[in-house]
Order: sequence, then C-alpha cells, then structure tokens
Amino acid sequence: MAEATIPTFMRGKDKIMSLSDAVKTFIKPGTCICPGGFSYTKKPFALAREVIRQDIKDLFVTMNGGASICEFWAAAGLVKLLDTTYIGLEGIQPVAYSVRRSIQDGTIDVEDYSNYGFGLRTVAGRYGWPFAPLMSEFGTSFMDHDTFGKMGLRGKKADGSWIHPSIAPARAAVIEDPFDGWGLRPHAFDGGDATSNQTNFLEQVRESTAYTGNKGVKCILVPPILPEVTIILAQRTGELGTTRIEGIWGPDNEQAISAKNCIVQVEKIVQEEELRAQPYSNTIAMQYIDAIVEVPYGGFPGQVPYYYDYDWDFWRSYTQINRKDKAEVNTYIRDWVMEDEWTFLSTRPGDGYPTITGTSGLERLFELRADAMYGYKPGLARPL
Amino acid sequence: MAVIRASDPGQWTNVDDTEYEAYCKERGIDPEKYTTMELLCIAAARQTYDYSFIFAGTGLPMIGCMMAQHTYAPNALIIMEAGILDPKLIEVPISVSEARGGYMCSTLSNMADTFGTFAQRGFCTFGMLGGAECDKYGNLNSTAMGGYYSKSARDDGKTGPAVRFAGSGGANNIASYADVGLAMMVQEKRRFPEVNEYVTSVTGSRGPLGSADDRYHHGLFRGSGTTIVSDLCIFRSSPETGELQMAEIYPGVEEQLVRDNVSWELQTAKDFKPFDVPAYEEIKIARMVCDPNRIYLGRKTKRDLAAEK
Repeated sequence: MAEATIPTFMRGKDKIMSLSDAVKTFIKPGTCICPGGFSYTKKPFALAREVIRQDIKDLFVTMNGGASICEFWAAAGLVKLLDTTYIGLEGIQPVAYSVRRSIQDGTIDVEDYSNYGFGLRTVAGRYGWPFAPLMSEFGTSFMDHDTFGKMGLRGKKADGSWIHPSIAPARAAVIEDPFDGWGLRPHAFDGGDATSNQTNFLEQVRESTAYTGNKGVKCILVPPILPEVTIILAQRTGELGTTRIEGIWGPDNEQAISAKNCIVQVEKIVQEEELRAQPYSNTIAMQYIDAIVEVPYGGFPGQVPYYYDYDWDFWRSYTQINRKDKAEVNTYIRDWVMEDEWTFLSTRPGDGYPTITGTSGLERLFELRADAMYGYKPGLARPL
Repeated sequence: MAVIRASDPGQWTNVDDTEYEAYCKERGIDPEKYTTMELLCIAAARQTYDYSFIFAGTGLPMIGCMMAQHTYAPNALIIMEAGILDPKLIEVPISVSEARGGYMCSTLSNMADTFGTFAQRGFCTFGMLGGAECDKYGNLNSTAMGGYYSKSARDDGKTGPAVRFAGSGGANNIASYADVGLAMMVQEKRRFPEVNEYVTSVTGSRGPLGSADDRYHHGLFRGSGTTIVSDLCIFRSSPETGELQMAEIYPGVEEQLVRDNVSWELQTAKDFKPFDVPAYEEIKIARMVCDPNRIYLGRKTKRDLAAEK
C-alpha cells in the first residue's frame, strides 16, 4: 500500500501556525473568504489586519453578521466581490462608510440576501446539503435582482467546470411545497397550536400563483455557501483543533464548517483534555480547523465575551476618519495595522484618539477586560 | 450596579427624582422636555404589548425594545438575531450580537438557529425594525436608492447606486414572520414615496389587501399589518385596504406637516387620536435606565438641527 498522505486537517499540532504563515498559506488574491463573528463581537481582527499587511487583493468576501472586518478591507481597497446581507456597523455607523463608498463608486460588486436566507445557506453548507428551504424574502426585490447572474459569474464554462467555484448556478429557486404548508406553524392541531404566533394565512397563500404560475404554497430554495476559507475567533482551541466558543456564536460554527479551510484565531491554545473533559460544550470538531493562531487580545478593537470589551472610543474616532477622502482612509488603515501584530497591540490601543482614562497600549487592553459575571465591562464609558 | 434576577420582569424602576434632576442639570437638559429621539423611543415602547415576543432589529429598535422591557411590556421576551432569547437589558446594546444584549438570557445560539427556532417555528409576534424608506403599503427599503446594481451589473453607465444603505440584515425575515410589524423612522417626503424602488422588507400588506399584490399572494403566510413610528406621527395599516394611515399625531405637530412629508394622499385612520404627551416618568426611565450615555437618545434628526438654527 502506498504511503498515506496526511490530510491538512489531521496534521495534529502542526496546525499551530504563526499569524503571517496562516494567512500566507490559506489566503490568496481572489480567495473567497468568509469572516466570522458579528459586528463588534468575536471578530478575528488580528487575521483581518494581517491580510491588510500582506496586501492580499481582489478578495471575494462572503459574510453574514456585520461589516466591521469588511470595512477595514474595503478601506484598504482589498475587496472586489461581496456576497452579504448587511454592510452596517450597527449602533456606531448605520452604513460602513468605506464599503458604501466602494459600492457606489464601482470598486465593489455586491449580491444581497436576508440574514435568515444567508443563515440557511450556511446551514446547507454545514450539512453538505444542495439547498435549504426559506419561507421569507417573498414579495421583495431580492427575488428579481441577481448581481452575480448579471455579471455572468453563475453556471458552467464550456469545459463543464463551474465559472466560479464559490458562486452557485442560481441565486435562489422557488418550488411548490410538496407538503402544502402542512409543516408550518401555527399548525391545525385539535384545539390549536401552542406557538405564540397567531397569524397563519395559508388559505390565501394557496390561492397565490406567484413565481411558478400555479396555485399553491411556495418555498424558496437557497444554495449553500462554499467559501474557500473561513476565519473565526474563539476563546480556546485545543492543540489538535477542538474549538470552544463562549458567548454568542453568531454565524461561526456553520460558516467554519461550510468552508474548505478554516483558520481560528484564539485567545489561548490549550491542551485538548481541558476541552474534552466537557465535550458537550465544544463548538467545532477538530477536523474542521486547519490552522490555529494564538493572538491574545487579537480581537481588539472588538469584544470577546468573558475576555474583554470593545474599545468604544476607537470606533467613535474611526467612524469620523472613514468619512475622509478615500486615499486618505487607505493610507490611514495601512499605517494603523503597523508592521506586525505584537507592535500593533502594544501601540495602537488608545493611540491617536481620546480616551477618558488616557491609557494606551497594553495598559488600555487590560483596562477593557470583561467582568466574568456579565461577559462585558459593566459601566464602560460610552460617550456619544 | 443593580443585580437583576433573571426571573424578575423588568419594571417601572423607581429612579429617585433628585438623582434624575441632578443628571439632567449636569447634561443641560430639561427633566420634563423630551427630544425627538426620546419621543421615538417612548412611542415605540407604547406600541408593544406584554407577553409578546419582540424580535428586535439593530439600530433604534435596541433602545425601543429596552424601553419596552422596562415599562409597558415587562414580561415580553426579546429576541435578537445573533442568537439571543429573553435577555435582561441593563445597559443598552449597540449591536444585536454584543454581550450587553445577551445578559441573563435564556439561551444563546447562532443566527440561523435564532430565525429557525424562534421566528420560523412560531415565536416572533412583534417585529421591531428600522428603515430608510417606507412606501404606502408599509414596504421598507433599507438596501439602495438610485438603482440597486453595482457597476459591473449595470447597463446605464453609472458606477453604482446613488445611495447604498446597510441592506436587509434580519429585517426582511423579521417582517416576514411577525404577526405585527413596527418600524422606527425619520419622516421626510423623499423617504416616504408612494412605491419603493427596492423592497427589502414587507412589514405591511405589500399591496392592496385582497389583491394579487398583497403579502399572502406573494407567498408570505404570516403577518397582519404594521405600525410606523416616525418623528412626526404614528401610521398604521388600514385593516380594510392595507394602506398606511395616520393613526396618532404627536403633540404640537400640524397635520399638514405630516401630509407634506409623505408622497401619497394620506388617509386618517377611523380610530385616529392625538398621541398622549410623554410623561415625566417615561422620559426619566428612557434617560436613567435605558440610555444614560445618550448613545441613541442624544442623536438629532435633520429637522432638529434645522430647528436649532
């Protein structure tokens, strides 16, 4: 028997890599990359900064859950295609300005889904399903707008291969529900259903001829996401890849498992036994993790539940900066990431923007540490 | 900081008046006079009802649902799409995913699971949203104006949409699954067109009720109408036609101003009434309990800024 090749996901402790090696190995120009986390929470910012340092261009970003990483990449001019649901920074800036500007000026082409539509795509991706059923998005403009389709990125080439391996042949499809809405809630149990929802208009829906021309209940099918690489942040990962996420998961477990490869940025690499003593609390099985990068505080300026809070003052300042001239913002962001992560973390926190306590560098990071009772830092000053 | 027990419903917390007045003095604000954002927050909370499941989107609904939990709907369960069910909000979150929004919640999971387990499954009765544009039948556009497509997919030679907004996020899904919708918006004529150029979320009837263009005929099996809380008035879907009608008007606002700031022939609801002036106690809770940092409440609308001049 020929000598067995060890798959990358079984490389054991060789999965532990430096930040720059992990990025260099798995992320190339044009890679379809899926950043995990949600807005300010558990975003793998250290990996995102390293992508900027290595100047990896023409990225195809597929993402759900807030645009903070995409905002930095767009500011640095690294994003070409965007498959997303939401490009805002939530309570701090309603629309992430660099992303918005790049879509308006033609630098980024964007395809939109709703959050649950995209969420179901990650579920389909996780389970290896060909599609997942969605009962939302009916009656909207999602149904007749398809950017990637108009760009000719969907379907097959003459040689039978996919035009783009991470773009489905159709944005969505509509079928007639073979079960006539039977499974939808509230259901017609004797005596009614125990769900909280009261409205169920299936009788009217059955009269609808929308989308297929035939009367009946319809269902939208959405394709899986199939990113080439997903990057996530976890609090702890074992030496072999077993990963535990504390606090909110956001879209992380599905997106990590959907991808061809996944890089996890962790606060701490621990012995597998520490996590395997309570395996029911672990989030992602070891074989889905291809690279482990330890960067304590690498989630700065975001929040990592139970570890540290977001740097409110940074975001307040950044959302003024990103409205400046495009070239100026590009220079700012490339300068902001500095030459390596250690220099960054010991310099940039509290640097160049006012904070109430006036601390900077590591002292600022320690100041943001979370209270274990809450998962965040209660009473963190958040002046408007 | 007060310790809130998970089993205690949020209440009309008793905040000491002296403490409140000292806070107002320090900030230079009148304890009895409300701002536009405070009015929006109070108006949204008054629309909620107790024992509902409030699925709150990001932005203004964060402060709206927190106000509801501490006043009119103490036993309502709040859902946030990043994975949160029934949190006890003691500091206003700035994101539907952050740890402040998950404090003392019953379960934390992920996005697909939240929409599946709570919304699709049948536990999203009250959907609270923000929006950029709202039309006559309560369709929200939070995606783009001036043509949706980005450059490579356009035929008109332009580089992209004139204005790009944040996109749906969970808004489309919350609107599709909730029994009733609510959207908090700033009212300007250009943001209230007769027909939206892009429909992100169907919060209301979609088109005239009973026609082939209503929400059910497009395939949505839930939902019965919407409330739009603007900075001038409150609109509700007519139960007969589905059209948005003026249902309540804020103190000091002329009806003509409301009519001048929508693009269709606005009807007045049968049960139209003036909006009750926000009470001292409501303003106090909004400020002291919900948003003492004034992250949301300190914001100003264009109309506020014009009035200041």
